[in-house]
Amino acid sequence: MKRRGMDNVRVLVLSAAGIYALLAILIAIVPGIVLSQSPPGPGVVPFSSSAQRGRDVYVAEGCAYCHTQQVRPLAQDRVWGRASAAGDYAYSTPQLLGTERTGPDLTNIGARQPSDVWHSIHLFQPRALVHASIMPAYPWLFVLKAHAAANDVVVAVPPGYAPVNSVVVATRDEQDLVSYLKSLKQQPLPSPAP
Amino acid sequence: MTSAAATGAVPTTAATDAGVSEDVAIFSAFTLSATGWLLLTTGIGLLLSFKFTYPDLATNELLSFGRLRAIHTNGTFYGWASVALTGLAFYVAARSSGVHVQAKRLAWLALWSYNIAALLGTITLDLGFSNGSQEYREWVWWVAIFFLAAVVLSGIVVVKTVMARREREIYISNWYTIGGFVFTTILGVTAAIPIYQNGIGQVAVQAFYMHNAVGMWFTFLALGVTYYALPLLLNRPIYSYALGILGFWTNLVFYPVIGAHHYEFSPLPWWFQTLAIVFSVGMLVPVWAGSGNFWLTMRGRWATVRRSYALPFFAVGIAYYFVGSTQGTVEALRSLQTIWHLTNFTVGHSHLTMYGFITFIAWGGIYGLLPLATGKRPSILLVGVHFWLAFLGVTIYVIVLSVAGTVQGLTWANGDPFIASVEAAAPYWSGRAVSGTMMLLAHLIFAYNVWQMTFARKTGDVSPAAPSFAAAAGK
Repeated sequence: MKRRGMDNVRVLVLSAAGIYALLAILIAIVPGIVLSQSPPGPGVVPFSSSAQRGRDVYVAEGCAYCHTQQVRPLAQDRVWGRASAAGDYAYSTPQLLGTERTGPDLTNIGARQPSDVWHSIHLFQPRALVHASIMPAYPWLFVLKAHAAANDVVVAVPPGYAPVNSVVVATRDEQDLVSYLKSLKQQPLPSPAP
Repeated sequence: MTSAAATGAVPTTAATDAGVSEDVAIFSAFTLSATGWLLLTTGIGLLLSFKFTYPDLATNELLSFGRLRAIHTNGTFYGWASVALTGLAFYVAARSSGVHVQAKRLAWLALWSYNIAALLGTITLDLGFSNGSQEYREWVWWVAIFFLAAVVLSGIVVVKTVMARREREIYISNWYTIGGFVFTTILGVTAAIPIYQNGIGQVAVQAFYMHNAVGMWFTFLALGVTYYALPLLLNRPIYSYALGILGFWTNLVFYPVIGAHHYEFSPLPWWFQTLAIVFSVGMLVPVWAGSGNFWLTMRGRWATVRRSYALPFFAVGIAYYFVGSTQGTVEALRSLQTIWHLTNFTVGHSHLTMYGFITFIAWGGIYGLLPLATGKRPSILLVGVHFWLAFLGVTIYVIVLSVAGTVQGLTWANGDPFIASVEAAAPYWSGRAVSGTMMLLAHLIFAYNVWQMTFARKTGDVSPAAPSFAAAAGK
């Protein structure tokens, strides 16, 4: 039996696929091509190799589910810095803008918290520094040792949160992650033309 | 071919026909597999909800929030809802076409492929292999490819089955399901190619992907099931075939444009965000056409709905399709996004739609069609307990998270220190853990009911007077 028009499965599949493929090109692929070529903003440079490895740890641990890296052009976001621009993300692939802000925005965390010690204690036990924090602790980014070796990076965890009879030593992953967090600093934009 | 099958009537002599009996086996296997993933991944969801109140609970690399969160979302999307709705799509395609499921080997292969993807995806995410925290496409490419293969194989099964049909017309259910498989194949390929996904360019592709994975996949499959099961279970034709066709084309044209409303106020071009908002308003056309069509089909038959196993699930699914999608349109407006964007309000919205709409439709389809296929019924009491726990659970869930999100957004707008938003939302997070517990209990009962509908001994005739589908569809 000959089936015509929308009674023919082939016609239905091809017309639906054609319309959707066209929309995918217009709404995803073309914007993707154009925006992928956004030039780096002034002062935006590639991550150091340590920060780049730390970024991989950030991705693996899913930090972006609670921490955004996008400052909106809204009054309530001024506390996080200036509004983000496309050029800020030239070296940020995969993108980590995030869709939820259960914890603070981290666009400018390297400027707000420049201390290695703060970040390390905070990753070992956030509640040692921010009592009401609900951030997970990341003890697996550290090793506990009875005595530190000569090259070990020892973390001075405050009493009450430090393990008894052992020292907390930062792993390579932890040091890389801290180096990534410290590298997150907004570069000033030239003031817009009047 | 029995005459019953030829007219699309419900088979009452299933066991005597080898082809039909394998159709039943496929439907049962997809449902059982999906149920297993539902239990695992919503159990994980419940653990995550408790971590908001007890942040030092289960502090372990393999049980940490950041890793399990992606396992919860991907597992419920791709292990539960996709597999359950694909099993239903096969059965609906065969019954509405008056034939057996065609290319059965491919159907079984698809089930394996779905499960390999979900299993590998769960393991790799737990070990820290992630495609960059990009929602619903966190699986690395060599895991995602198994899912895409399953979608393509399933699409071939449905297309071959519909091509073998007796009727001249393609029943509207199969428009929607065939569409879902075609769109998701194109979507998967679009999202997988990396060359146009650098920096902010990837944000544009991610906006497209994350919303289309919901609205061009789950919505289409769920509407396909509803267009078949609702007239069948009510024994009356669908209110308007034309509204169904209108919904199909308008959903296809409007939906793909709206993804960027997830990145309002981001550095994506402002006009691109505005376009997404305008089309979000346009989405009222297919949503109201679809949900209105279903509601008018049920009108005046509330006594039948109340007495049915399955129809209350459809009633909730249709109502929350309307509420959740209309909420999505309103939520997309910039004035409201200034408060609600980046808050828990979005999480409430996603559960209203993926759970209140999609999951309730999948349950309605399973309770409505699986007993007809296997001849085995669950206990009406336990179906009722499942319904009320899940319905109250998700309703409380959505209300508390909507309030939590509003409170978060208002503390930010008020210029309070950030930690104030965490402290203000805390009571509502405890409320979410309570409602989540109700939902998981509902799933345990559902799993028992699925067992009753598949492996238990036959408990007697299942609605011997089950209406002919062809008659119900008004043919």
